[in-house]
Amino acid sequence: MAEVVNRGPGSYIYATTRMRVRKIKLVPREDYLRMLNMSLPEITRFIEETQYKAEIDELSSSFSGIDLMEVALSWNLAKEYQKVLDITPGILKEFTQNYLRRWDIQNVLNILRGKTQGLSSGKIKAVLIPAGGLDKDLLDSLLNEDSPERVVDALKGTGFSSLLGEEFPAAQESGSFARLENELYKQYFADLIVAAKSGVKGGVAFLEYIRFEIDIRNIQTLFRLKTGRVSDVRDMMIEGGSFTVEELQRLAGTESIDDLIDAVKSRVRVAPLDALLNEVRENMSIHEIENRLTCVMLEQMEKLSKRHPFSICPILVYLKKKRYEVENLRALARGKESNIPSERIQDYLVM
Amino acid sequence: MALKDIKPTRSELISLKRKIKLSERGYNILKMKRDGLILEFFKVLEVAKNSRGALLESYEQANAIIAVANTVEGAIGVRAAAMSVGETPEITLDQKNIMGVVVPDIKSTAVCKSLDRRGYGVLGTSAVIDETATAFEELVEAIIEAAEIETTMKRLLNEIESTKRRVNALEFKVIPELTEAASFIKMRLDEMEREELFRLKKIKAKSQA
Repeated sequence: MAEVVNRGPGSYIYATTRMRVRKIKLVPREDYLRMLNMSLPEITRFIEETQYKAEIDELSSSFSGIDLMEVALSWNLAKEYQKVLDITPGILKEFTQNYLRRWDIQNVLNILRGKTQGLSSGKIKAVLIPAGGLDKDLLDSLLNEDSPERVVDALKGTGFSSLLGEEFPAAQESGSFARLENELYKQYFADLIVAAKSGVKGGVAFLEYIRFEIDIRNIQTLFRLKTGRVSDVRDMMIEGGSFTVEELQRLAGTESIDDLIDAVKSRVRVAPLDALLNEVRENMSIHEIENRLTCVMLEQMEKLSKRHPFSICPILVYLKKKRYEVENLRALARGKESNIPSERIQDYLVM
Repeated sequence: MALKDIKPTRSELISLKRKIKLSERGYNILKMKRDGLILEFFKVLEVAKNSRGALLESYEQANAIIAVANTVEGAIGVRAAAMSVGETPEITLDQKNIMGVVVPDIKSTAVCKSLDRRGYGVLGTSAVIDETATAFEELVEAIIEAAEIETTMKRLLNEIESTKRRVNALEFKVIPELTEAASFIKMRLDEMEREELFRLKKIKAKSQA
């Protein structure tokens, strides 16, 4: 049978139109604001009446209460991402797969950490979200391996094998997977840059976005490391953005958070980010800063997808927005459960 | 000590007098020890009040931040981050002496860690995980400090209680009984001396008659 590689404009129009339709079905801002005034049972009912019902029904025998809702939301996210992978053809699929690899990284690391600590497969499985390229069956087979070394062996042939081969022995010896985790994410962004340059439509625009995302991630990390009093930040910075690693190291050496903000502001050309950096001075907690930076990132991506309507951008915008819908619904439910005031929950929502 | 069991002899009286002297000296020393321990106890009590307050504050803060972490990252994210912790805190238990009372001296290592030593990667987690980890590290530190102080306080209290019992026993039982026994012997000896004198007088009168 001849292989069909759909590279024509038709595939883009089909895939992006379907994504746009899916995006319309996402929970709008007004509903989040309404939910902020609801009680937990009302929020639960609201979620049950939406697209998450199937997962809630499916998992109700294994989980209960707020855990049921959280797992159902994650499963729905995973299922939705797999559907997106099915819809997107040819080169779009490859690119989407690359983009979703961050879930694979998260799952692989959780399996390795769980196996190293001798946790049961059931406990490790509870923290896995099969939303990436590694499907449920493969993750199950990894869970059934006896040791972390065998998990690494079983991953040979996937995109992780070379980096795992280099970093895993040292990680196992030191008992800390932090460096391995950072390296995997750095490689993830490097691979995304390569993929964006591979000729996919909207790739050049997307490259610009990836660079912006890398910058935002690096700025977020700088704020965190500054608060955590870590002076050498080189290993934790992602290459490929508009700041070089040496430049970021110099920024990390600034005296105070205010100096850091000034230094970043002098280099940033994106207006919403500039405005946000002005607000950051006003005693914002680090996770609030992170949240606001994520909002800026989404806003930029949305603009990009409007400028390039038949490209990879609308697909990636949908993937991001779907992720934040799940996170917002979870935040609302968990926040209400913990009796966090609605105004504070609103600060944690990405709307 | 029942008076009927006491031998009214001079040697017994001497030994009782020695015992009374020893008991009174012991009583004075124990009274001083009790007062000293009470002073120490009040000093520790002040520290304990602060440490208990700090512990409660850390606990409330940790609970509040874990609620935020569950809200932002979800229980799955928090559990996954918790799996990264490889290095467990080490606690060494030494002893120190406060007025003869052996109290614990707890030292801990690797409780509060810097961001790059916590075991999770910075690029795969968010700042709320850092804040949660910091809050719980501070809580563990506060628990260790409170454990040391409250154990010290309990041991001091036990020692004060037993010293107080000893002081009371010496003051209200041992010393009065010994004094009573000594005065009984003295009285007996005096009586015996009078009897002896009377007997001698009688013998002398008989021999003269």
